Amino acid sequence: MNEQNHTARTPVDQRILQLLNSSIDGEINVVDQQELDHLLATSQSTRDLNDELREVTRALDELPEIIPPKYLQDTIERQVRLPVENKGAENKPGDFGSWINANWLRTGFAVAAGVLLTVGVYEMGSGPIPAGDSASMSGTIGSNSVNSQKGELLDRINLESELFSGQVELRTHNDLFTLNVELESDGASELVIKFAGRGLEFESADSPQDAADTVSVIDGSIHLANNGEQNYVLNLRRVPGTDYPESLGLEFFANSQLIQQSELRISHSKSK
Amino acid sequence: MHKDRDAALVNGCLSGDRRAMSQLVSQYQRPVFNAAYRILGNMDDAADATQTVFLKVFEHIADYDQKHKFFSWVYRIAINESLNQVKKRRTQEPLDDGQASPRQGPAEALDTKRICKRVQAALMLLNNDYRTVVVLKHISGCSYQQIGEILQLPEKTVKSRLYSARQLLKKSLQAEEAEN
Repeated sequence: MNEQNHTARTPVDQRILQLLNSSIDGEINVVDQQELDHLLATSQSTRDLNDELREVTRALDELPEIIPPKYLQDTIERQVRLPVENKGAENKPGDFGSWINANWLRTGFAVAAGVLLTVGVYEMGSGPIPAGDSASMSGTIGSNSVNSQKGELLDRINLESELFSGQVELRTHNDLFTLNVELESDGASELVIKFAGRGLEFESADSPQDAADTVSVIDGSIHLANNGEQNYVLNLRRVPGTDYPESLGLEFFANSQLIQQSELRISHSKSK
Repeated sequence: MHKDRDAALVNGCLSGDRRAMSQLVSQYQRPVFNAAYRILGNMDDAADATQTVFLKVFEHIADYDQKHKFFSWVYRIAINESLNQVKKRRTQEPLDDGQASPRQGPAEALDTKRICKRVQAALMLLNNDYRTVVVLKHISGCSYQQIGEILQLPEKTVKSRLYSARQLLKKSLQAEEAEN
């Protein structure tokens, strides 16, 4: 069959192997079982082969069942679109979908989005990002929807400590890397996302909550200062011409003390 | 396996019932993940493959022929997707799947872990045809006939591949043991 097809066996060997394997699998008929019983009773080599094959099959049967990652079912369900839903999502004449397909309207939306983003940048620039640090920031900050589920899930880290809890999820779509951050803390906490020297640049941030929660980008790190419950969506873009990024560094601080350091893995992405 | 229930759930999916979809994912994600894991040899690839399998299953569920068993159809997609991933796979990570029984003492647990690693390593040395039948037989618990249905092969070929694969595994494990 191929290179792994081992040495040729005599017909007798083949017959013995067939009988032994069928018996091991419980798929042997009465006549064949009798033939095998006779062989086992009279041949030491058949008994040895039987023991060896049973040992191999026992080892295979005893391989433990692996529990899938907890996020898997949730991720699958979020991405699945059933046929009826898909039909419903298709554009029909006269519905909103066909309107949005009109070029002139799309251009209008783009202009409106640009105005909103500009306002976002102004608000952010006049607030939490310290003067002089804005040079480290390349991108825009809007403030509308959060928790983007777009793209392939690369990694997720759950946080559980006495001082705060939450999770950080990393997704990718083309060369864009999106971090969905959900944090909850009793007091002041901070999450620092380090992307300097990792082939990534800051693109944008979304957070619908009030201005007391701040996002700042300083020297290749995003700082999320948090108090209470807060969600963020942060976008990073791959720097053209650099090696494919491998990971993002995360540091969690509570009351100015480093509580946890983690890495979100990127490199196992199949989009490499 | 659960033919009637599967058929009802598939019909539910066809009429847009997301709870039916959720139940099918819940029912099959573990066996699909385990089969993918044993073919691919690492968790990340297995999770990617499992995700893709279910997206394909529900994308094409209207094409599923209910004359055949649903699980055979799902497994066929799972095997094909896992083998696709093998082709574009990254470097293999060391396996660490020796999930010892909680009743085992530390020494026994260590032994179990070592044996599991050896067996999985031997499994990864087999070619795809052999590894696939071994996984379907020993991990998924399929009969010769079911494996034939999934892989669309005659039972005779299934048996021949399985028997040869076991012989190769036996030799591989014996050689490894002799080295140590």
